Parts: sequence; structure tokens; C-alpha cells
Amino acid sequence: MKASTTRFGDLEVEERDIILFPEGPLGFENLTRFFIIDPGDDTFIMWMQSLDDSSVAFPIIETEVFCPNYGLKLLPSDLRSLDLENATVARIYSILTIPKDVTQMSANLKAPIVLNPRENMARQIVLQDSKLSVDYKVYKDLKAHIITTANTHLKKTSKSQKAQKGSPPSHPTPKVDIQNAD
Amino acid sequence: MLVLTRKIGESITIDGHIKIVVVQVKGKQVRLGIKAPKETKIHREEVYQAIQRQNSMATHSDLEDVHKLSEELAKDGE
Repeated sequence: MKASTTRFGDLEVEERDIILFPEGPLGFENLTRFFIIDPGDDTFIMWMQSLDDSSVAFPIIETEVFCPNYGLKLLPSDLRSLDLENATVARIYSILTIPKDVTQMSANLKAPIVLNPRENMARQIVLQDSKLSVDYKVYKDLKAHIITTANTHLKKTSKSQKAQKGSPPSHPTPKVDIQNAD
Repeated sequence: MLVLTRKIGESITIDGHIKIVVVQVKGKQVRLGIKAPKETKIHREEVYQAIQRQNSMATHSDLEDVHKLSEELAKDGE
């Protein structure tokens, strides 16, 4: 199906790439269908674009990219609400806020997007941990990660080292490549 | 909205399994104790408001700024 977006123009989205948000992200409760756009650069930043409102897109990133020790705790009710048997199959994303001064970019660690990749269903889950911030300044962590990754590439390390911390996660999540734009 | 008057130490029960106790009243502040099943989500209202505000700000992120960010991140670390 065709999806019109204000940032990326018209895109072709497969039915199977549509992610259902039964309750919408907080403050966007009427937006229940999204898809992920991957610009395919080195930053690992993707966009979660609404199908219902062409102007709404959230920059997102897999939390483990910059925060390997996130260790979020999902309650049994959270898992049930996403038809998840356990937390390990879930994919966790943080919503990013990127202001004009990009070094002030922040990630919402308090309320991540939790996706069940099998069912293509997601929710923004508010975690109980009161130490987590809604606007964690993430620029330095991300920069450190990018440099680590670049170095790893340069060294052409062996396959066994691929699984080390800080390496980019694989993305079985359905995504729309920006190159698919009409 | 249902409004109830309670004294310190008194409580209300919701749905048979959530109990809210008035623990302390000090000037304009009220301390509440909440007893609920582990799975119950309990947050200060401000937390939800902060998340909504943050979500709204996130959607104002500009594509150009993200490009700028990509360039900044790609530069060698200082």
C-alpha cells in the first residue's frame, strides 16, 4: 500500500511491515499504525512513521546500541499485552528527540517502544524504575559507539568477535528502505 | 469524579485488590500508601505528562538535523 509522509514523500509499504500500536504512543493515542524507515546510514537512527498521520514520525534507535546495560524489566502484564512469551524476543527502541543543536539530542529511557517482532505489535511501556530519564542526553554514548564500530570495521576482525558488546544488533524487524521511495 | 473524605490511617479500596491509605498530612502535602498487585502500573501523573511532552518534541525532530547529526557522529572523536 502507498503511504504518504511529509518527510520522505510517498513510500510503498507492505502489509506485513505495518506495526500495530493498540493504544498508540502516549499523547498520540489515535495513531495505531506505524512502519519503520531505515535511512541506512551509520548512525542506527531509524524513523517510526505513522500511517495515520503523514506528518508524525519519531526518530528511534535500538536502546542496546548506546545502552548495553539497559536491563529493562517488563512486568508479566506488559508481556501479556504484547503476546510475548518472554522479554528476550522483544525488540526495544528508544524514542529520540533531536534539536537544532544535535549534541543536545536525548533518548527516552523511561518509556521505550517495546515491539513483538513476530506479531508486529508494539506499545510504549512506562517503566517503573524512577531513575530512568525521559530525556537522557545520549550524544556522547552514541558517538563512542559509532567510533567503536568504525574501528571494528577497520580492523576487519574475525567472525567470532562480531558478537561483542557495542556491535550493531541485527534487525529482523520489518523495515522500509528509503530507497524504495517512488 | 467520586470524592471521599478520609482521615490519617484510613483507606479506600478499589476493585477489591488495590488499597490506598492516607499515611500523612502535612500542610498542603498528602502522603499516600498504595497497596496493589505487583503488575499494577502506578505513576505520578507528571510522569505521563513528561512522556507526552517528550513524544511531542520527538516528532518535531527535523530530517536535516538528523543528517547533520549523522555527519557530526561520523567525525573523528575529539
